[in-house]
Amino acid sequence: MFKRKKYHEKINWRKELSLLPGYIVVTLWVLFTAVMLFWIFAASLSTSKEIFSGKVLEFATGFHWENYVTAWKTQNVSVFFANSLLYSLVSCAGVLIISAPAAYGLSRWGFVGSKAIRIGLVIAMSVPTIMIIMPLYSLAVRWNLRGRVLLILLYIMLRVPYTTIYLLDFFSTLSTTYEEAAALDGCPPAKTFWAIMLPLVQPAVVTVTIFNFLSVWNEFFMALIFTPEGSATPVGVGLLQIVNAMKYTGNYGGLFAAVIIVFLPTFLLYLFLSEKIIAGVTGGGVKG
Amino acid sequence: MRKNKAMIACFIAPTVVTLVLMYLYPVARTVLMSFFHVTNLTASTSTWTFNGLENYFKILHTADFITSMKNMLLIWLVGGVITLALSMMMAVILTSGIRGKKFFRAAIYLPNIISAVALATMWVQYIFNYDYGLLNTMLEMIGVKSVRWLGTDLKFWSMMAAFIFGSVGYYMLIYISGIEGIPQDLFEAATLDGAGKVRQFFSITMPLLKGILKTSITFWSINATTFFLWTKMFSPVNTEGSTIVPVVYLYDTVFGGKGVVNLDAGAGAAVGVVLAIIIVIEYALTNLLIKDGDLEY
Repeated sequence: MFKRKKYHEKINWRKELSLLPGYIVVTLWVLFTAVMLFWIFAASLSTSKEIFSGKVLEFATGFHWENYVTAWKTQNVSVFFANSLLYSLVSCAGVLIISAPAAYGLSRWGFVGSKAIRIGLVIAMSVPTIMIIMPLYSLAVRWNLRGRVLLILLYIMLRVPYTTIYLLDFFSTLSTTYEEAAALDGCPPAKTFWAIMLPLVQPAVVTVTIFNFLSVWNEFFMALIFTPEGSATPVGVGLLQIVNAMKYTGNYGGLFAAVIIVFLPTFLLYLFLSEKIIAGVTGGGVKG
Repeated sequence: MRKNKAMIACFIAPTVVTLVLMYLYPVARTVLMSFFHVTNLTASTSTWTFNGLENYFKILHTADFITSMKNMLLIWLVGGVITLALSMMMAVILTSGIRGKKFFRAAIYLPNIISAVALATMWVQYIFNYDYGLLNTMLEMIGVKSVRWLGTDLKFWSMMAAFIFGSVGYYMLIYISGIEGIPQDLFEAATLDGAGKVRQFFSITMPLLKGILKTSITFWSINATTFFLWTKMFSPVNTEGSTIVPVVYLYDTVFGGKGVVNLDAGAGAAVGVVLAIIIVIEYALTNLLIKDGDLEY
């Protein structure tokens, strides 16, 4: 998450002292986050009795890894997890197949309606989900679409406006000499796009895919409406179901284990890619 | 490159289909539906009966909807002021030259990466828990009686605190990128002229961040208006008056919730349209009130 500096600056104590209040504020904030995450992890290895008697950090009866087994098998987390993984991966690929050519086309060829499509994409990015969810629901029923296929289709289409606009900016920065050279060599335009132009914007493709992955993994509203119960449930809605079932099962260790399992994939992704993610948050789309 | 109509169509068509199918048609149908009497969402249009603005009058006379709008307004105003102020403070601290900036920045942004359901569960099941929660444990240490953070009177504010904690990192990143875009020599010149840090913040940083501020207020407004998940997590089974927000009201009215006897898709659509209009009005107002001009620096 952070690189250790190779050289040692001489510490200017007066300057550091004037920054002390700032250090205190951010340290407390981060400490709070760390305590919360650490306690949840410790609780996921404790029994419900230990949790309720406030003895989570003592591990008097050892580490209860079986909480994870319970969560994974009995509480169906394995199903939720597999679903979310499927949705995230397939949607990320699907969005690229739809958005990348469009972003390229819109950045290269001015044609009738291209401006309207651009404006439409920008507006679509800020349309609240509540404005589209009801007709989509009745369409899905009419077309007899449900379960995994339906959610994947929805997630792909949900991410198309953002992805297209994001990639469009990057394609616009590429020089046209690449295509001219390719055309002289007799390379057909479609091939030029997939083999030459798309690899040139690879860093942008990676960033946008990370964001699409996070967004689909963490999506909740659509999943709640389109998979009320059943085998297509992803992690968010699944976790809600586990929480709601708590008063019958009373297995708090299992609940916290489920929380950790849901939390871990995006957290690990963040550990390795935090710099890229943070740069991406303010890099595309958000402009003052 | 030679323009080729068939090829352009191949490249663009899937995106256009998405725009129409996922956005244009649903938005148009939602707006239309808000003017019709529609009980069941999946009923065909032939069963719809036109009833003008009746759905709008109906929701405006529903106590739950009014309560939900009040809650939303509180989240927008109180939550917004606190979140944006905290984010600004964090951004100023992190750009003041402290060590470990990258680490702090990444750690403060972390809650935005975690599934919000998991984050909300951590708050509900740990931080606010009455028996073993963090807050009550700390109160116990200093000898204060435990508090029912999730009791009816405090629940809304507890929910808001958790929501704010999860949001700060994002706005902080926006502000940091804004502050870093301001040329350093402006601050150096101000320091030479004897302006203190506070004066510099209000006379240089804030005026130059107008555009960024506008963006962040718009984002916050969209987030507050479409607030849903946190209410669902803090009142998972039964919707409660203390935490209800318009989207939850919409969800219960259209898809059914505990205590909802008559489903009313038309009224739900009207709620959606009202919220969309609020977002548009807010966007226009912010643009009108905060003029960023064309600053060159």
